[in-house]
Amino acid sequence: MSLCLLLAIPLLGGCLAWPADRLHPHLPRIISLLALAATLAVALPMLHGTSFWLADFSVPWIPAFGMSFHLGLDGMSWLLTVLTIVLGMFSIVVSWRENVEKIGFFHANLMWSLAGTIGVFLALDLFLFFYFWELMLVPMVFIIAIWGHEDRRIAAIKFFLFTQGSGLLILIGILGLAFLHQRATGVLTFGYFALLGHEPGGAAGFLIMLGLFIAFVVKLAAFPAHVWLPVTHTQAPTAGSVILASILLKTGAYGLLRFVVPLFPTASHTLAPIALWLGVASIFYGAVLAYGQNDFKRLIAYTSISHMGFVLIGVFVCNALAWQGVVFLLIAHGVSTGALFIIVGALQQRLHTRELSRMGGLWGDLPKLSSFGAFFVLAAMGLPGLGNFVGEFLILRGAYGAAPLITILAAIGLVPAALYSLIAIQRAFHGPVREARAIADFGWRENAMMLALAAAIIWLGVYPQPVLDVAAPSISAMGVTP
Amino acid sequence: MIQAAPLAVQGIFVAVLLAAVAIRRSAPLAAAVTGVGFVAALCTIPAAMHGAAIAGEQFDLSGATYGFWAVILSVGFLLSVMGSGYWRGAKNLPAEEFFILLLVATLGACVLAAAKDVLFLFLGLETMTLAMIGMIAYPRHRPEAAEAGIKYLILSAMSSAFLLFGFGLLELATGSLGLADVLAAPNTPMAVAGLAMVGVAAGFKLSVVPFHIWVPDVYAGAPAPSGAFLAVVPKLAVLAVILRATGLPGAALAPGALHVVSVVAALSMLAGNLLALQQQNVKRILGFSSIAHLGYLLVAILAAGEVGRVAVVFYAVTYALTMVAAFGVLAVLSNAGAARDAETIADLRGLFWSRPGLAAVMTLALLSLAGMPPAIGFIAKMYIFAAGVHQELWWLVGTMIASSVIGLFYYLSMILAMAQRQAPAPAAAGMQAGGRLVLGVVSLAVLVLGVAPEPLIALVKAMLG
Repeated sequence: MSLCLLLAIPLLGGCLAWPADRLHPHLPRIISLLALAATLAVALPMLHGTSFWLADFSVPWIPAFGMSFHLGLDGMSWLLTVLTIVLGMFSIVVSWRENVEKIGFFHANLMWSLAGTIGVFLALDLFLFFYFWELMLVPMVFIIAIWGHEDRRIAAIKFFLFTQGSGLLILIGILGLAFLHQRATGVLTFGYFALLGHEPGGAAGFLIMLGLFIAFVVKLAAFPAHVWLPVTHTQAPTAGSVILASILLKTGAYGLLRFVVPLFPTASHTLAPIALWLGVASIFYGAVLAYGQNDFKRLIAYTSISHMGFVLIGVFVCNALAWQGVVFLLIAHGVSTGALFIIVGALQQRLHTRELSRMGGLWGDLPKLSSFGAFFVLAAMGLPGLGNFVGEFLILRGAYGAAPLITILAAIGLVPAALYSLIAIQRAFHGPVREARAIADFGWRENAMMLALAAAIIWLGVYPQPVLDVAAPSISAMGVTP
Repeated sequence: MIQAAPLAVQGIFVAVLLAAVAIRRSAPLAAAVTGVGFVAALCTIPAAMHGAAIAGEQFDLSGATYGFWAVILSVGFLLSVMGSGYWRGAKNLPAEEFFILLLVATLGACVLAAAKDVLFLFLGLETMTLAMIGMIAYPRHRPEAAEAGIKYLILSAMSSAFLLFGFGLLELATGSLGLADVLAAPNTPMAVAGLAMVGVAAGFKLSVVPFHIWVPDVYAGAPAPSGAFLAVVPKLAVLAVILRATGLPGAALAPGALHVVSVVAALSMLAGNLLALQQQNVKRILGFSSIAHLGYLLVAILAAGEVGRVAVVFYAVTYALTMVAAFGVLAVLSNAGAARDAETIADLRGLFWSRPGLAAVMTLALLSLAGMPPAIGFIAKMYIFAAGVHQELWWLVGTMIASSVIGLFYYLSMILAMAQRQAPAPAAAGMQAGGRLVLGVVSLAVLVLGVAPEPLIALVKAMLG
């Protein structure tokens, strides 16, 4: 039952936040924050369950098609759910001072999008999963289209078309899977466990797997399905960018880990070489393009493509160590990229520009912002001792046995990462001061956010074992395939 | 004779309404009588269903027919409520006749939906069509409306001519006027020509490619409530006939004909969505979108089987609800006395901030048309995909995916236009209580059935028996 609360509280919070701005402009923020805090309070104690599935809830939904409203929580989905809730809270706090128009509707969309994402991480019925997958999309489109920056319309349309269009592939895929399963066993069901271990063979199985793979890779924004990502992330308001980069991208990786690999072990093994090379291509493509960006926000968006290349490799080398690394990298990347988008948002608010060519020498004016900025850029780069390093290292370590060439290339990909990171720090924070500025540094609210995120990254970097322990049962249950 | 009570009740109310208008000309009274008539006819449906089954020659009084009747009558009721608000804006245009036409057209649609005999089929079709021409051209101060009426008149007459000639040929080939006999005609050239002509007429009424040319002009010219009727009711009635015909023994089409229908379906999906892309007029967009939706419905019809038949009805109900909601928003925003309805995308701009409730309804309707959750259109589209995948109609399903993605673009453009920040104040719009009531009911249904569709699925299954 408490699993339903994880969905109901944010949904309800959104509905309450919408009209609340008539009473007081801060009320939607307070309601949203309280709702997320309540959700977190529900989610945190669930970890102390005894069985493998920490919680489980199932009622029939559309019996005509054997669809059920089946939610379940294991270690991996617990981690991602908590990440969603916590970063959702940050995305609300980050715009606390901004003068947001129609603030009630803004927070309603934020909360609904988060609820949809939590649903994606919890659903154990394939159709229900798809339902949430589509549901999280519309509010995000609104956030981009209404509160985005100058090119928001194009960005919203691109985001919508890419993710919705690829979503239809998921729909066809799961329908095909369920009907093939019905033909084989006589039972029409969309339940995850019922379909597990019944991989449809032959071309049909491969095509279904391919459809799901394409959809998830589009969401993950790996090369060459990344086209929507730079413009969307750049144009979204800060809170939207944080949710997009830190959480929504992760749903693609989650889909690959939870559905593609376990449901289609043979077919995904066939596809693995291509997926691995796509991963390598993403790493380099993202890094090289990030290096050439003048727009700070765009630069971070391209680094996401690069990091998601590691995730793609980690998923398709198919061993427990790499999968551990993937889950870990998802969390670390969520924290570090979220922090970076908050910093760039703060910069844009102060300088009214995102262009690196108009920054430079910021360290003198904004010492706190700049030092946090440098810290998180280094964290994203994968500096040892910080969270991302652990994830990338585990992926590379796990991949080496299976695909040494890929691993070597991916590791070489860390060199351009260092390049773009250092260049970004250099251009934004160091160097000569080009413009006279009279701007305020981080206040206590922003400092507190940054300190919390920095502490999380350091903790993930120096003591990763607790997170690995939580994810371990889910990973081992996925079984180590060929 | 309780089984045909809904038809009788409608007939009675047509007479009552005529008498009422003759005694006292009052639009609210006419609207009230019409509304009561629809409700009364709806109320007789449960009783009619429990009547003993009769094997009539003229009407097929099965669960499916009652189901279609219920939907058609509900749409008629909603439009009568909506119309009462809409026509109030036109000061020097008496609105009573609109309600007479509405009631007559709905009666015709019900007859058509139930017809098991070629004569009654034609009778119902003509009753509906002639009344609809009046409904389309009703605001006589608008030249576009008159133009739309004439266009619809000419093209309807042509399609009727095709239909009659086709039935004539079929009668000649089989010597019978019963739908079942006619469809089971032997495979002679004469019968094939007859069937093809009937198919052309059906294509006109369903407005599928290549019989869709009239759609944008007529939809754009018709006043919003008539547009809603035009978009929904004739299609429901023709679908009821097609569903019954495909369920008859010996109605299986030859493979060649199936290919033709498949091509028509694919072209309708693509053309409807592609042509809508460049439009600025919401009514035209809805018209093109209806072409695409009928293409989707043809996929479900081609899929046949149990899943396919349920999919057809489920999708038809969804389409009816959604179109009523979309046209309803336009109706509430419009003033019948003005030179035109609020019908361009520019009229919708900034609606989220000036009329958030209407914008929310319109967004829900557009999401439903686009097939997005939490609207019912999502489940409906899933149903058709399921039917298509089940029968392995791969290339049709592929076309449907491609055209759906194209369609997303213009649905989203309209939503984004409504969400634009700096809004010009919309034209002075009526505060139509009736229209808003209808919108509330319809959007609630779209939302609730989108989240929990099982009751409707169960109902449709029960109706189809």
